[in-house]
Amino acid sequence: MTTTTQEITGSPSLAATFFRALGTGGKRPGLVKTLPKVELAIPAVTLDAQHIARYAALCGFSASQGVPLIYPQMLTFPLVTAYMCSPECPWPAMGTVHLANTIEQYKSLRAGDKVRVEMGTGELFTHEKGQGFTLDLRILRDGELVWSATQSLLRVGVKETSGQPFTSQLALDTSLSCQTEFTAPADIGRRYGAVSGDRNPIHLTAITAKLFGFKRAIAHGMWTKARAISYLLPADRLERASVAVEFKTPLMLPGRAALWTERSDHGAQFEVRDKKGVRPHLRGQLSY
Amino acid sequence: MTTPSIRRVAILGGNRIPFARSNTVYSQASNQEMLTATLQGLVDRFNLHGERLGDVVAGAVMKHSRDFNLVRESVLSTTLARETPAFDIQQACGTGLEAAMIVANKIALGHIDSGIAGGVDTTSDAPIALNEKLRKILLDLSRAKTGAQRLTAAMRIRPSMLLKPALPRNGEPRTGLSMGEHAEQMAREWAIPREAQDELALKSHQNLAKAYEHGFFTDLMTPFKGVTKDNNLRADLTIEKLRSLKPVFDRQVAPGQGTLTAGNSTPLTDGASAVLLASEEWAAARNLPVQAYISFSEVAAVDFFDKKEGLLMAPAYAVPRMLARAGLTLQDFDYYEIHEAFAAQVLCTLAAWQDKVFCKQQLGLDKSLGKIDMKKLNVNGSSLAAGHPFAATGGRIVATLAKMLAQKGSGRGLISICAAGGQGVVAIIER
Repeated sequence: MTTTTQEITGSPSLAATFFRALGTGGKRPGLVKTLPKVELAIPAVTLDAQHIARYAALCGFSASQGVPLIYPQMLTFPLVTAYMCSPECPWPAMGTVHLANTIEQYKSLRAGDKVRVEMGTGELFTHEKGQGFTLDLRILRDGELVWSATQSLLRVGVKETSGQPFTSQLALDTSLSCQTEFTAPADIGRRYGAVSGDRNPIHLTAITAKLFGFKRAIAHGMWTKARAISYLLPADRLERASVAVEFKTPLMLPGRAALWTERSDHGAQFEVRDKKGVRPHLRGQLSY
Repeated sequence: MTTPSIRRVAILGGNRIPFARSNTVYSQASNQEMLTATLQGLVDRFNLHGERLGDVVAGAVMKHSRDFNLVRESVLSTTLARETPAFDIQQACGTGLEAAMIVANKIALGHIDSGIAGGVDTTSDAPIALNEKLRKILLDLSRAKTGAQRLTAAMRIRPSMLLKPALPRNGEPRTGLSMGEHAEQMAREWAIPREAQDELALKSHQNLAKAYEHGFFTDLMTPFKGVTKDNNLRADLTIEKLRSLKPVFDRQVAPGQGTLTAGNSTPLTDGASAVLLASEEWAAARNLPVQAYISFSEVAAVDFFDKKEGLLMAPAYAVPRMLARAGLTLQDFDYYEIHEAFAAQVLCTLAAWQDKVFCKQQLGLDKSLGKIDMKKLNVNGSSLAAGHPFAATGGRIVATLAKMLAQKGSGRGLISICAAGGQGVVAIIER
């Protein structure tokens, strides 16, 4: 089967996205045996120095590190949203949980680069809490793949699930030690939402988060991931790097978290844990 | 005129009070009190009451100006003969070992037959100086001859000067960095991982706890202020606990990438120590058994400012120079006592000795000094567990190592101590 790539130009407005996301709440699919193939693309995006700087400042990256390793995922957000709100996606956007995220950078990007952004549906997998599926994200420069990511999402509460069982790629057999603590400010969800476009109400305010069953607003997992690796990456620009994380428990806002690490020559294993160092918020592996 | 030949210098024993973390049980004790108690304990143990010793050499790093004659005053407060001379020295953390070398050299040359070397430090009863501006004004005031001059000087005093005294700090005047920050830089340069530092710290606590269990310190210690054990010792310490501590020296030198924590660095500590040294004849005449002999020593200093050598790397230079003089290799020892200022300092030193490039370029050797058997390192614990009252560490180590060699019957031990100002004092003890 061949799939045609749907190209998207122009970004949807926030309000429109939000209402579309809410509107998709009515989806009630039965057993989904295979994930319908969908390919979406934005043919040309220019990396905006100002936007990169705003993102870097918010996550703790320094200018000398160049375009942060995780930054390109910002560019894929409109595609993921478009897919999640489309009839092709079997499940509603709201209440789909980010389970894991793997990023691989093959060549460093620079502000001003003109790139093509792609998203494709991946595989279904079975998770103890529901139905999981992956989305493949790609950034191409002059036709060459320079960055790719896999986003693993989980639709909680689906009873009949398809696909291979989910296995953690990050079995932690090493001994981590507390590296540093950082604060997740009360408004970080709103600020990160403004930069990333991901204005999911669970990240914005305590009240909007309560509507979706959270006691308080929770930090964007991708912000927490970025904040953690901002401590771990070398001070200089990297040509190749990869980072994989699994999201464990939400980080409530405002909050204080601790970064636990074990470094090796070209990377680190890490966990973001609560202040006491007991409960993990996310676990990851970085190599460069 | 005849010059006497060089004599062997015997270590007869030592004494210390238990070390205590700063601002805990000894917070009210002065250097004077601690040193006096330590010396008296040594006098009692070796029955030196009324005895006139050749010299008593000791010192303190943190000292009040009123304690200019600290050691002599302490001697006068003990039951040693009042005719026992004494003087103060200071070489930062090298003070205690340097004091032992001064006494040893006098004995070796026959200038004296017996002596005590020691050291004491308190960071609880620290000297707080007047605000520097205020001090200058007060001096001007004292120099003033006329009422008008006095008034002019007094007018310069501001209330804020009373509220901002000059506090002592554990930092290098030339770099403005604390010793911990320097050690963090060294750990980065030598790529010493956090995990290795925590493991060394754990071992130090385990070894010291075991030494107490076996009663190793019973004849090396005098209880003081109701304390019988170093209160920094955590016998139930776990690696998990050490891992949970946050780096504390990284903000300036390695933001977010630090490896030195409160667990793998020595705390500020109060305490005192002393060792009794003598010629073999003097010991034999008093029926005092010899525990070990001091045979070699060496001091070194590094240029941590222009050449950017690690501040605490001087022992890495001092030891090979001493080994060359002694005709020994790094592996010719039964015990290694490397003062644990920071776990990183020990590990950087060991790494440097194994590094071919360092040994060739910095030490001018053909090959690296190689590894040591880690089972022989600080076997009865060291500063990470016991604490580190700067000037008292040398005496603690000399007494500990001499007793270990006495228990073993024969053997050789290496002492290495790093000090502020980029200095290092090292020695060999044999039996």
